[in-house]
Amino acid sequence: MNSLQRALRSVIRKPIKSILLLLVMITVCLFLLCGMACRNANVQTQDTTRQAIGAGLRLDANEKNRSKRLTECSQKIGEGQEGSYGGVHQEKLETAYGTQWLVWCDNSFDCLQISDIEKLAVVPGISDYNISTCITAVNPVGFDRIEDPDMDQTNDMGGVVLIGNRKMELDSNVLSGNVTLKDGRMVTEKDQDVCVISEQLADQDHLVVGDKIGFNDYHDPEHSQVHEATIIGIYQTEQLMSPLMAGDTFRSENIIFTDLRFPEKAEGSKNNPCYEHAYFQVGDVDDYDAVKAAVSTADIEWERYDLIDRNGNMSTMSSNFNDLEKISTLLILITFAAGFIMLFLIFVFWTKNRNYEIGILLSLGYKKRNVLGQLFAEAFITALLAFVISFTLAPAASSVAADYLVSAQAEQAELEKNINADKVTYSTVQSEQTVVGVEVDITKEMFLICGAGMVILTAVSIGTAGIGILKKNPKDILSELV
Amino acid sequence: MILEAKNVSYFYKAQKDKLILENVNYGFEPGKMYALLGPSGSGKTTLLSLLAGLDIPTKGEILYDGNPITARDLTEHRKHHISLVFQSYNLIDYLTVVENVKLGGQKTPEPILDKMGIGKEFWKRNVLQLSGGQQQRVAIARALASDANVLLADEPTGNLDEATAWDVIDLLKRIAHEEGKCVIVVTHSKELAGSVDIAIRMDQLGK
Ligand SMILES: Nc1ncnc2c1ncn2[C@@H]1O[C@H](COP(=O)(O)OP(=O)(O)O)[C@@H](O)[C@H]1O
Ligand SMILES: [Mg+2]
Repeated sequence: MNSLQRALRSVIRKPIKSILLLLVMITVCLFLLCGMACRNANVQTQDTTRQAIGAGLRLDANEKNRSKRLTECSQKIGEGQEGSYGGVHQEKLETAYGTQWLVWCDNSFDCLQISDIEKLAVVPGISDYNISTCITAVNPVGFDRIEDPDMDQTNDMGGVVLIGNRKMELDSNVLSGNVTLKDGRMVTEKDQDVCVISEQLADQDHLVVGDKIGFNDYHDPEHSQVHEATIIGIYQTEQLMSPLMAGDTFRSENIIFTDLRFPEKAEGSKNNPCYEHAYFQVGDVDDYDAVKAAVSTADIEWERYDLIDRNGNMSTMSSNFNDLEKISTLLILITFAAGFIMLFLIFVFWTKNRNYEIGILLSLGYKKRNVLGQLFAEAFITALLAFVISFTLAPAASSVAADYLVSAQAEQAELEKNINADKVTYSTVQSEQTVVGVEVDITKEMFLICGAGMVILTAVSIGTAGIGILKKNPKDILSELV
Repeated sequence: MILEAKNVSYFYKAQKDKLILENVNYGFEPGKMYALLGPSGSGKTTLLSLLAGLDIPTKGEILYDGNPITARDLTEHRKHHISLVFQSYNLIDYLTVVENVKLGGQKTPEPILDKMGIGKEFWKRNVLQLSGGQQQRVAIARALASDANVLLADEPTGNLDEATAWDVIDLLKRIAHEEGKCVIVVTHSKELAGSVDIAIRMDQLGK
């Protein structure tokens, strides 16, 4: 009779001794699967400050991921070091108040990855797409901007702002119906050095379609190169667009829509664009959900982004959702450590309890590795059973776990926000996120990883417990029996 | 001579100053039944374990068919040269009678069990449902399932009542005489020792 046959009989005929082992293994399996599922969970939040409109999907940078990358880049540069890495710049400033550190990012840091955008643009069902640049402040040349005469302009840069679009008719302001054409046409992907200005600006400066206006870098309006754009349209607004920041530079009437690559030239950073949003139009509205699913499974670096659907629902990778990824990783690690200790103790107990059986087999001339092999086989049979049971329980368990972790995280974040409310000021408006759901998916890979993890855990713990047997000679084992 | 202790001395690593066996020389022949006789603590079990290859002598060696048993793997010696029967703790409790006998070697279990007086109705039973005497006979059956020529038994009758004990001793004697095996039994009963072919007193073995 070989060790596997003996193992099977031992497990089947004396099941009680395996029950504790089975329970521990199921628990370990479930915790591992839950941990992994939560790490990759999609947290659906409703964003009250961002609105996506039309039968399309919007891709934005994820704020949490941005600050994570910022930290990584400045670590790469080194603390107390001047330098640049990945579009992040660290500079030392000697001021009257002492040394100060200036950290700033250029466009390359904030720009959405064009390769990712292009991957999504070719997903079947996407009929057209648009890219919009960041709102770029520049200095007007040869025309006057609209100013509030009562406003103190000392702190304002005296500029206007540009929004570059690949296809202006898909700009969020146009899609929402707020911006409409009064004259001329909108920007298309074929245009170069063109702009669409507000009716107020046209009226004040007597500008008409066909005129040219210029812009340059507001940091150095005297010397920097002027770039001209031809006016191809004049727009009107239903309501004034809400300004990004205070000051007349950002007021609605001073917003000028241009072609995609114009803002970077005007601000003096040619070939270093700053793409802030990408919009993907879904051709057939009836296919919306299928197309959304196809887009969200595309192979891009999802951690960097939020995907916002037509209802304003955002999907954010759990790794960007507060500390969910960290907590899940911790859960996995703790499970491994605790699992090892528990399994090790169970196996030590096992081998002690089965000394007599081991002694008999050794005295009959069975090799130690054959005897140990039986214990391994029994453990693996139990592990297999635990694995099958966990599989059936995992989907339910992981969604409960994910719901719990996410709500705990959301609460924690709320608490921190209240504590920090008067300590931290944000340069831009922080998005308000309310969690509307969590989507966990237990994938084949997770099962494989969990299976491999269990095999390793079992092998290591039983191996460690089995060293005791390997070290003893059969006489010692037998004399322990009496 | 089939099994031989040559200049064997032994002490336990835990008690290095206490020699349990000192310069033991003895040869065992096939077809005979031996009894190792001596009071408790005199080193009977120790000597038997050395003969069985469960441990190795501190000095000297054990020869099987004239060759030191350490020349090859000790598990080979245990598997093919000897078979062991203990006082208790003999059978594995999650295996049936037949399965336990199969553990001992390649021979078909049923005829051996028949010969040991274990009826068919017990073969598929769990071994714990057998009486002490029956269990010991299953253990002997297991020892006979291998092709080993030496049967070593450590107080095989220690847990049995007198009548059953004599049955077992007769059985062992028959194995020695009818099958030509060398049977070595440890006992502290002078009565039992008197009935075997050769009784060896531990205090005569050196030390
Ligand atoms: N594993 C051991 N470690 C240390 N001493 C032992 C061990 N086993 C037996 N002894 C000692 O060796 C001596 C002989 O023991 P043993 O061979 O079991 O005697 P017997 O079988 O004749 O009763 C005893 O004094 C006993 O205390
Ligand atoms: Mg003894």
